[in-house]
Amino acid sequence: MQDIIQVRDIMHQYGDKTALEKISLQVSQGEIHGLIGPDSAGKTTLMRILCGLLNIQSGTVSVFDLDVSKKFKEIRSRLGYMPQRFSLYQDLSVEENLLFFARLFSVTVQERNQRLPELYAFSRLEQFKSRRAGALSGGMKQKLALSCALVHRPELLILDEPTYGVDPVSRQEFWQMLKSIQKGGTSILVSTPYMDEAELCDRVTLIYNGKVLASDTPTKIKANWNKVVFRVTSPEMKELEPELVKIIEIESCQRFGNELHLVLQADEAASIINQLETRFDEYMPMLEQIQPGMEDIYLSYMQAVQHKEPSHAG
Amino acid sequence: MRSLSPQVVLSFMKKEFRQLSRTRAMLFLVFGAPLIQVLILGFAVTNEVKHVKLYIEDRDNSALSRTLQQSFSSTDRFNLIDNPDNIKATDLINDWKTQVVLTIPPGFGKDLTLYRKPALQVMVDGLDGNSAAVALSYVQGIIATFIKSELTDTRKYPPDAIFIKAMPAQVEIQDRMWYNLDLNSPQYIVPGLVVILVTIISMMVSAMSLVKEKEIGTLEQLMVTPVRKSELLLGKLIPYWLISLFEISFVMTAAHFIFRIHFAGNIFTMGLLAAVYLLTTLGLGILVSTATSTQQQAMFFAWFLMVFMLLLSGFFVPVRNMPISIQYLTLLNPMRYFMNIAREVIIKGNELKYLWNEALALFVYGFAIFSISVAKFRKVTK
Repeated sequence: MQDIIQVRDIMHQYGDKTALEKISLQVSQGEIHGLIGPDSAGKTTLMRILCGLLNIQSGTVSVFDLDVSKKFKEIRSRLGYMPQRFSLYQDLSVEENLLFFARLFSVTVQERNQRLPELYAFSRLEQFKSRRAGALSGGMKQKLALSCALVHRPELLILDEPTYGVDPVSRQEFWQMLKSIQKGGTSILVSTPYMDEAELCDRVTLIYNGKVLASDTPTKIKANWNKVVFRVTSPEMKELEPELVKIIEIESCQRFGNELHLVLQADEAASIINQLETRFDEYMPMLEQIQPGMEDIYLSYMQAVQHKEPSHAG
Repeated sequence: MRSLSPQVVLSFMKKEFRQLSRTRAMLFLVFGAPLIQVLILGFAVTNEVKHVKLYIEDRDNSALSRTLQQSFSSTDRFNLIDNPDNIKATDLINDWKTQVVLTIPPGFGKDLTLYRKPALQVMVDGLDGNSAAVALSYVQGIIATFIKSELTDTRKYPPDAIFIKAMPAQVEIQDRMWYNLDLNSPQYIVPGLVVILVTIISMMVSAMSLVKEKEIGTLEQLMVTPVRKSELLLGKLIPYWLISLFEISFVMTAAHFIFRIHFAGNIFTMGLLAAVYLLTTLGLGILVSTATSTQQQAMFFAWFLMVFMLLLSGFFVPVRNMPISIQYLTLLNPMRYFMNIAREVIIKGNELKYLWNEALALFVYGFAIFSISVAKFRKVTK
């Protein structure tokens, strides 16, 4: 498969604050690539660089095999970008927004007449087409923004946290829409702070503090991770948690709702679990091994980075 | 890369007009506010001197001195005040009871008939220097007219009556106020107001409209489309350019019917120079938008510029009355030239060939500011 985005050793600084530190990334033709990380990980900066909205300070970036720093105008006509914040005209109607953006991308009238019904059908916005964009609900706004980014049939779609703050039902719908866009042949780079959305991507890049933690298919990321996760539940969770945190053999001890997730080195896991069971018998802990989620893996990689460079922690 | 597309510019203009028509505050700012401003300010900002309070201290009490008094009471420029308590004239001025005191000395009438040159004393409250000077000149004018009429109109006296047979030897000044015969204040103020209005509309509204795109994030969205910056700027500025030109015609028409202002000059000359002046203000609008990131900031910034331009434009204080150093400073103010042009063209009906100095300045400023701001805009948006 051909790479539609190639990022090599990108560094980016805002003043003396480093936003991206030697990031490299490949997005293949036709895939949904997830850029996963919390706020201020550098996702937006990276996406803005890809769209040519930020100057490249060092490193190389090419999209469609074209150098972003030189050919950004050409790239833009083949690219759809949906920024994090809703950035359409709130005082124009749904249809006026779509027509306006179609015009900006020089979509011909014929093409437009064909494209608009398609977009309406897929976003289910037709019944709201004369409503002002500002009067739409959050989920519908995102669908409109997505439709505007698709009006010129881009080859690549870049979406910056499109599901942030959107309700679970709309989120699910949104991902279904992305899947159908992908079937139409468009490659997608999507960023999200939600780890569960990683499983919906063909490939993901985990990013933290301007650094890539891992980049592969979700299955391979899990397979290559040489650690195991144990779920701990106990009636005396409050007393147990501070005790467990003190044990240095436990790589990490994170609270997920009512349970704790312990991350252990795969080869030492059995013996540590045995020790724990006897040592904390009084708290009646229930220990069972579970499939690691993307969140467990992300946190474990993140802590590894933090330990290496304590200055970045916190 | 494709060339500049008129369709894209047109769809921007369409969008801009559409948005404008849907924002009530903007509609008011563009159409309602100017009319109200011209109406109220046209009446309020006046430098006419009328109904000045005048006390005549008649120590002569002769037929002639009483006739003189009558000449003052028959004009609306002065309101004669009584002084039943015989308060000292200077105290009357100090107490704001009167602005002008005319003292007719004893023997005034007699001296006049005997070809002597009697003296009259005029005291004027000089607090408001302009009005004082104008009031003083009115007093002089009325006295001159009085003497002249007494001199010529001998029929109203019986043959043996005493009357002035000859004018005291003096230079007689005959005033003719050109271009604005009655010193009608709106005639002078309204063209200035028009200049201010189009400056506000074009500079503030264009700055706000550009910054708004930045503020709500649409500018960034536009930047990832293949739209060229020239298309964006043209599409956004042409509507405000058109609206400003419309504004001039609208306000001038309204002023014509309300204040009977006569448009003496060539409308096309005015239109042409206004179009050039708008390059400057729209350019400043862009410049403000590049330096600010919210509409609020843009508003303050534009207002800051506006105050300087306004005060140094000659709208309130004629430029030649300013200190020399400030007069040089006004040369940097594009509004000063257009203020001058608007008055020359509207009031005097002056032709372009007499205004080429100002016109040239407008051209130079217009193109310089516009190019600089477009360059700046290109640099800050990517």
